Amino acid sequence: MATRSGKARLIYCGLSLGGLTAGFPFAWMLLASFMSRGESLRRALLPERVQWDNYIEAWQEADFGLYFENSLIIAILQVSGTLLFSVMAAYPLARMQFRGRDVVFTGVLATLMIPEAVTIVPNFLVVTWLHRNTPFAWLNSWPALTIPFMASAFSIFLLRQFMRGLPNELWDAARIEGAGHVRFLFQIAVPLCRAPLLTVGMFTFIGSWNALAWPLLVTNTPDWRPIAVGLQQFASEAGTEIHLQMAGAVIATAPVLLAYFFIQREFTEGISISGLKG
Amino acid sequence: MSTRIREQQLAWGLLAPALVVLGAFGLFPIGYALYVSLHRWRIKKEAVVGFDHYVRALGDPQYLLPFVAGIGLVWAAYRLRATLASPILATGSSERGLRPLYVRIAWGAVALLGLWVGLVQGLGGLVETGDPALYNGFKVTFFYAVGTIPFQLSLATGLAYLLFKITRARGAFRTLFFLPYVTPIIASAVVFRTIFSPHPSSLANRFWSFWGLENQRWLYESKSVVALLLEGAGFASYPAWVDSIFPSLALTSIIFYNIWVYVGYDTVILLAGLSAIPNQYYEAAEMDGAGEWQVFRHITLPLVSPTLFFLSMVAVIGTFKAFNHVYILRTPGARDSVDVLSIAIFDQVFEYHNAGYASAMAFVLFVAILALTLLQNRVLGRRVFYGD
Repeated sequence: MATRSGKARLIYCGLSLGGLTAGFPFAWMLLASFMSRGESLRRALLPERVQWDNYIEAWQEADFGLYFENSLIIAILQVSGTLLFSVMAAYPLARMQFRGRDVVFTGVLATLMIPEAVTIVPNFLVVTWLHRNTPFAWLNSWPALTIPFMASAFSIFLLRQFMRGLPNELWDAARIEGAGHVRFLFQIAVPLCRAPLLTVGMFTFIGSWNALAWPLLVTNTPDWRPIAVGLQQFASEAGTEIHLQMAGAVIATAPVLLAYFFIQREFTEGISISGLKG
Repeated sequence: MSTRIREQQLAWGLLAPALVVLGAFGLFPIGYALYVSLHRWRIKKEAVVGFDHYVRALGDPQYLLPFVAGIGLVWAAYRLRATLASPILATGSSERGLRPLYVRIAWGAVALLGLWVGLVQGLGGLVETGDPALYNGFKVTFFYAVGTIPFQLSLATGLAYLLFKITRARGAFRTLFFLPYVTPIIASAVVFRTIFSPHPSSLANRFWSFWGLENQRWLYESKSVVALLLEGAGFASYPAWVDSIFPSLALTSIIFYNIWVYVGYDTVILLAGLSAIPNQYYEAAEMDGAGEWQVFRHITLPLVSPTLFFLSMVAVIGTFKAFNHVYILRTPGARDSVDVLSIAIFDQVFEYHNAGYASAMAFVLFVAILALTLLQNRVLGRRVFYGD
C-alpha cells in the first residue's frame, strides 16, 4: 500500500513537471504584461504594481483594434465556410455509394502533404487573376484571405470518420419517414456531429488566427491585415518594450483560449477520433 | 435506376464546393508551380527557361545519375534483405541472425556500394554545383526533423502513459498540456523570443547561470551546440566542420519551442490510443506476472504503435512544411543556420520576387516530402502492429 501511494506521488510529480513546462510561458507572459518597462527589462518575476495601462497603450500604439476586428471577421467567415463545405463533402464520402468515391477520398487526403511553400506562389497568381477577371475584389479584401482555405482535407477526413460511425438504423428510420439524404444530413447527422464539428471549427479558427505569410502577400494595407501580422510588426518595432509586447501577445491569445475553454471537452474528444484507425 | 443516377448527382453536388476549392487552391497549384518553375517569372511570365532553375537549384545534372543509381542500390539492398527474411525463403536453419554469411556480405556490399555511389559521387557533386541555399535548407530541415520528432514522441508517450495511470485531475492535466498547441503561434513565439533572448537577464540565461554556466546568445547564436560545448570545455579552436554538421544553438532553441508546442497534441491523441487498448491484455499480463516495464514494452507500445505511426507521419510532414515557427524566431544573428527549406523559398518570393525560381525550389521540396512519406510508409509502416 505504501509503495502504491508512493508510485502515485511519482506519477503526479512527473505530470506536474510537464504541466509546469507547458504553463510556464503563459504565466510569464501574463505577469510581464502587467509590469512596468523597467521591471520587464530587468526580467523581474513579479510586477510590483499591476500596470493595466499596458493593455491600453499596446492596443492604441499597435492599432490592435483594427487588426483584431479583421481577424475576427476573417475567422468567422473561414470557420462557417469550412464547416458548411466540409460537412457537405464528408457526407457522401462516408455514407453514399457513387462511382469514384475512393479516388476522390484519396485525392482529398493527398492535399495534406502539399506544403504551403508550393502553393503560395501559384495561389497568389490565381488570386491576382481572379482579382482582375471577376467583378469583386480579391486582393486586399476578405475573399483572398478566406476562400482558399474554406475546404480542408483534415476537416473532411475527421467528419467522414465520425459520420461513418453513425448507426445505420438512423438512416433506415429516416428513409421510412420519407427523408432523403439532404434532410438526413442536416436534420439528423449534423446535430449528432457536435464534437467533430466543434473540433473542426476550433482547428479552422486556430489556423486562420495563425496565418501570417499568406496575409502578408495578398494585402498591402492594414485595412484587412490580421492580428498575427499586427503583432509581428509591433514586436519587431517595439523591440525593447517587452511589457507592451506581452500585453499584445495576451490580447492576441485571449479569443482563442476563451474559445478553447468553452469547448475543450468536445475538442479533445474530437481530435482523439483523428488518431484512431477506421 | 433513375434514383441511382439521382443519388450519384446528389453526391457530386454535395462534394462540388469543397472539390472546387481544394482543386483550385490545393491540387492545381502543383501543376501550376511546375509550369511557373519552367519560366523566368518576376511579376509576370517572362521567357521560357526550361529546366534551368532546377539545374541552378539542384546542381550539375551529370551528378544526378549516380545519385539516383545510389538510391536505387540502397533500395535494392533493402528489398534483398526483406525478401531473404520472408518466411517463404527463411525455412529451416536460416532464422533471423543465422542467415548464411555470404548472403549478409552480399547484402552489405550492395548497400555500401549504393551509399558510396549515391552520397560521394552523386550528392557530393550536386551539393558542390547546386544552390547553397537549397542544400542548407535541406540540412537545416533535416536537423529540425531529427531534433524534434523523437523527443516529441517519446515525451508524449511518457506523459500519455502517466495520464493513463491516473484518474483524478486527468482532464485538468490534459487541458493544460494542450494549451501550447491552441495558443496562437505568433503570441507564443513572441514570448519565447524574450525567453531565449541574448540579454544577460533573459530567463534562459538566468536558468543557465543558475547552474553556473556562461550566458549564451540563444536565438542569435549561429555556432553549433557542439562547438559551444567545445569552447565551454576550454578548446579555443576546433575544425570548421564542427559548425556545419551540427545544429546551431539558435536552431536548437527553435526546436525546443517546437517540441513545447506539439507535445501536448501528441499526448492527447496517444492517450486516446492507450484508452482504446482492451483491458484483457493487461489482465492476462498481470496473471503471467509481468512487471511494469515488461507490460509497457510488450503490450502498451505495440498496441499503440498505429497511433505513434500516424503521429510520426504527421510530424515529418509538419516539420518539412514548417514555416511560421521559424519565421518569427529567426534573428539576423542566427544567419542561415535556422533557414529551413520553406524559409529559403519564401525569401525568394518576398525578397527577390523571383516566382519562377521559388517555384522550382518548392517543387523540389514537394517531391522530397512525397518520397519521404512513401519511404516512411514502406519501411516504418511494416513494423506497425495492427492487432489480429
